Amino acid sequence: MTRLDLSTPLGLTLALLPEIVLSAWALVVLLVVSWRHRSAEDSRLAGWLSFAGVAVSAAALAALWVNGVTSDGLAQMVALDPFRYGVAAVALLSAGATILLSLGYLERERLLAPEYYPLVLLATAGMMFLGGAEDLIVLFLGLELMSVSVYVLAGFNRANAFSAEAALKYFLIGAFASGFLLYGIALVYGATGTTNLSLGGAQLAGKPLGLMASLGLGLLLIGFGFKVAAVPFHMWAPDVYDGSPTPVTGFMATGVKAAAFAALVRVLMETFPAAASTWQPIVAGLAIASMVLGNLVALTQRSIKRLLAYSSIAHAGYLLAAVWPGTPVGAGAVLLYLVAYSLTTLAAFGLLAWLGRNGERDVTLNDIAGLAATRPGIAFGLTVCMLSLLGFPGTFGFIGKWYIISALVAEGQYALPVIVVLTSVVSAGYYLPIVMAMYMRPAPSADRYSAVRLAPTAAGAIAVAVAAVLLFGVWPAGVLDLAGQSGRTLTQTGVPIAGP
Amino acid sequence: MTSFLDSIGYGRWILHVLLLLPVVGVVPVLLGREAWAKWTALVVTLAEFVLSVGLWWSLIPGLGDMQLVTNAVWIREWGIAYRVGIDGISMVMVLLTTSLMPLSVLASWRYITSRERGFYALMLTLLTGLLGVFIALDMFLFYVFFEVMLIPMYFIIGVWGGTNRLYAAIKFFIYTMAGSLLMLVAIVALVWRVRAVTGQMSFSYSYLLEHASAAGAAAPWLFAAFALAFAIKVPIFPFHTWLPDAHVEAPTAGSVLLASVMLKIGTYGFLRFAVPFFPQVALSPAVSRLMVALAVIGIIYGALVALVQPDFKKLVAYSSVSHLGFVMLGIWGMTLQSVQGALMVMISHGFSTGALFLLIGMLYERRHTRLIADYGGLARVVPVFSLILTLVALSSIGLPGLNGFVGEFLVLLGSFAAYPWATGIATTGVIFAAAYLLWAIQRLIYNRLDDRENEHLRDLSFRELAVLVPLVVGIVWLGLYPRPVLTRMEPASRKFVEAVMPGSTPAATLGATAAIPGSGR
Repeated sequence: MTRLDLSTPLGLTLALLPEIVLSAWALVVLLVVSWRHRSAEDSRLAGWLSFAGVAVSAAALAALWVNGVTSDGLAQMVALDPFRYGVAAVALLSAGATILLSLGYLERERLLAPEYYPLVLLATAGMMFLGGAEDLIVLFLGLELMSVSVYVLAGFNRANAFSAEAALKYFLIGAFASGFLLYGIALVYGATGTTNLSLGGAQLAGKPLGLMASLGLGLLLIGFGFKVAAVPFHMWAPDVYDGSPTPVTGFMATGVKAAAFAALVRVLMETFPAAASTWQPIVAGLAIASMVLGNLVALTQRSIKRLLAYSSIAHAGYLLAAVWPGTPVGAGAVLLYLVAYSLTTLAAFGLLAWLGRNGERDVTLNDIAGLAATRPGIAFGLTVCMLSLLGFPGTFGFIGKWYIISALVAEGQYALPVIVVLTSVVSAGYYLPIVMAMYMRPAPSADRYSAVRLAPTAAGAIAVAVAAVLLFGVWPAGVLDLAGQSGRTLTQTGVPIAGP
Repeated sequence: MTSFLDSIGYGRWILHVLLLLPVVGVVPVLLGREAWAKWTALVVTLAEFVLSVGLWWSLIPGLGDMQLVTNAVWIREWGIAYRVGIDGISMVMVLLTTSLMPLSVLASWRYITSRERGFYALMLTLLTGLLGVFIALDMFLFYVFFEVMLIPMYFIIGVWGGTNRLYAAIKFFIYTMAGSLLMLVAIVALVWRVRAVTGQMSFSYSYLLEHASAAGAAAPWLFAAFALAFAIKVPIFPFHTWLPDAHVEAPTAGSVLLASVMLKIGTYGFLRFAVPFFPQVALSPAVSRLMVALAVIGIIYGALVALVQPDFKKLVAYSSVSHLGFVMLGIWGMTLQSVQGALMVMISHGFSTGALFLLIGMLYERRHTRLIADYGGLARVVPVFSLILTLVALSSIGLPGLNGFVGEFLVLLGSFAAYPWATGIATTGVIFAAAYLLWAIQRLIYNRLDDRENEHLRDLSFRELAVLVPLVVGIVWLGLYPRPVLTRMEPASRKFVEAVMPGSTPAATLGATAAIPGSGR
């Protein structure tokens, strides 16, 4: 345990080292690419530079985490707890994988504008601030930094009308959602007189929630609902996920979602623990709607990319179910599920990126028929991803789902876990046909997939992700412990949670 | 034998080796040459069988507790451990699995002609999954094995199956998964409820069994979730609709393992988990009446539907529904005889139905049709085949002196006191079984030889005899002298009955076995 004195500049700098490294690095890379932005080599240079930035930031993060750094002061702006480190790790993981997946992809799609990589870094810095924010203002700044960068990334394929549509839609809806969020922040500030999460929680404790605070809570939930793409605030997600370049889709589905969920958990557990009876029904409603609608609509999709988009809505539902208990176990479950889901989804979108062309919007089951015969590695990887998303034992996805069920059952809640598992059964109806198409249907022609070849960086990143999905599926003790500890620290400074 | 096993420390390593060896065997299968895959698989499965035989002598006679228990921490914080062990019931199921596995591999020798490496790798993975289910003593571990074995079977049906294989594979998968996921919620709920009472979180089977009363008011729901998972697996009417599709579309080896081993996981689940955890619920009048009624419906319905099948493989598939009905009746008969009988039916159904699927597979390899109407008069063309088919069919019918009789007789005997009417109706199932099988046999191998294509069928090859003869030996042995098997299962069965219905066991140790021909002292 190391205590940092946050009143000194040095203490502050150390506490924020991962974010500072990443932001500064993004500016350096931006400087470099303003000189060198013409050839494929320049793009690759920017990519590798950015990846190095992610690695350095991750090292700084690891140093904070391993030393168990805590602060002595209250009312800090950014949390110093393992939950923040966990979320930051997910964000960095997502960024690192996205960069590796994009390296070959951008060249293939002729999207040679190296600004792409600094934007990924800035978005990641935003995610880390959002996930670690202990103050509503920092939360909002982090959210905007992340969102604005991702708006640009979504529309990165300028020549493609769908990519432009995705960017515009994401931008308009995102601005709308930010409006809700900001209004909610203002009302919560009005009700509590502070923007600090735990101080606000102390203000709200022990008395019924007033009108202003209730309105603020409601608006915050709507804003977060948009950001995590929960039903009924999900309408933008399929089009945006579908139109964006595939590595960016993976980035949005994992990093953006993880950071938004972390912030939601923090706000609900630190500021509104006393109002659990108010927000729990709303969260449960959002969770059920997302699980049911996301899974049912995914069943009807022909395009695999769109199918995965709807499946990510369903996974937002599972995550919301994990938010419901508002307990340390629940927070741990959210974090663990985010890790499992991110690893799997990044690998899935990463593989999908190599199965089509020009945005992969039109890759259907027919385009992967018989893939296993000539490309066994890709087929195996995608199968593991599908099984993990399905929550099948032996994969990390199962451990995540099991943790969620545990967290819910521990609070005496049985309806939500039953819906989680029943909708998971529905999801087998669309994950399995992908496996079937690859293994059980004949390829249209022997050389149909001769052009399908992963770039080495992408192959490496995907192989690591798939191996991790399998490894943590069989040996989850370490990550479970980490997630459990992170969940517990979240409430140590906060007010005790209201009973179930 | 026992001293030899002790001298090599057999009990300490055998269960882990049994679980690990097939998975290790996957590596040479996948990396070796395509043509070697089946040889590697055969060697591994034979080694498994030889190794597992020692289990027969390694249990302490007369002890119904779990033995050869190992306990290694897996996820400490959640009370999850690698806990394995066996009692008489698991031991017999393990031996059933390991003995059928090499035969299934051998039966696939010429049936599987494409992607052999994948097929045999999946067979070996399946073996680990099946064995794991029978020896896991940790609910988390059990659940993992219970689900994981779906994947190899799903691929075996979906890749190497018949024309309608995709539909059959996904139906099989989704049906089973729907039940088992609800069971997962029930397992977690039970663990948390026990923790609320005792303060300790553990997925250990024995710990949960000891404290299962903590389930309290939720017990009926938890039992329902367990029962649904196992009912689909058995399958009990009306959850049986996946079975004909899966059995018919699967390649021969898949059908054999599905029928002979995987269905037993359902009934094993009732015996091991669902009933012992929640005896009050399981034995409440409403539940027991329902289960007995469904068992009897299964017996009669399965037999009637089998009667009208034009496809011999489908006929055998439906006959499984009927036979498994006897098992369910025996479990709910809740006497030592009926439970012993249920276990006997599980074993003999494994041998007889496995052999029937193997035989129809061999016929299919020759003529590429399974329709009974396409055959006739085979006795003159393939006498050895016909002889074995007749013998196996007679054992499946339950002819005294062959294995099928022992179990069904004990079930009927043991259940009669508690459910006279249901048992009476179930008895007619035996008559129906004679009807559908004898009629099918008559059309297949007697009658007139009127199809010219059937005139030049080859009789059984040496390899096919090597597959069938062990089963025939088993069928006759279990029919004439079932006592060794019954005595080895008895302590565990007795423990089950005593735990579920305290004070109800008959005093006489031989009560279960005295009535069986060839089993008297």
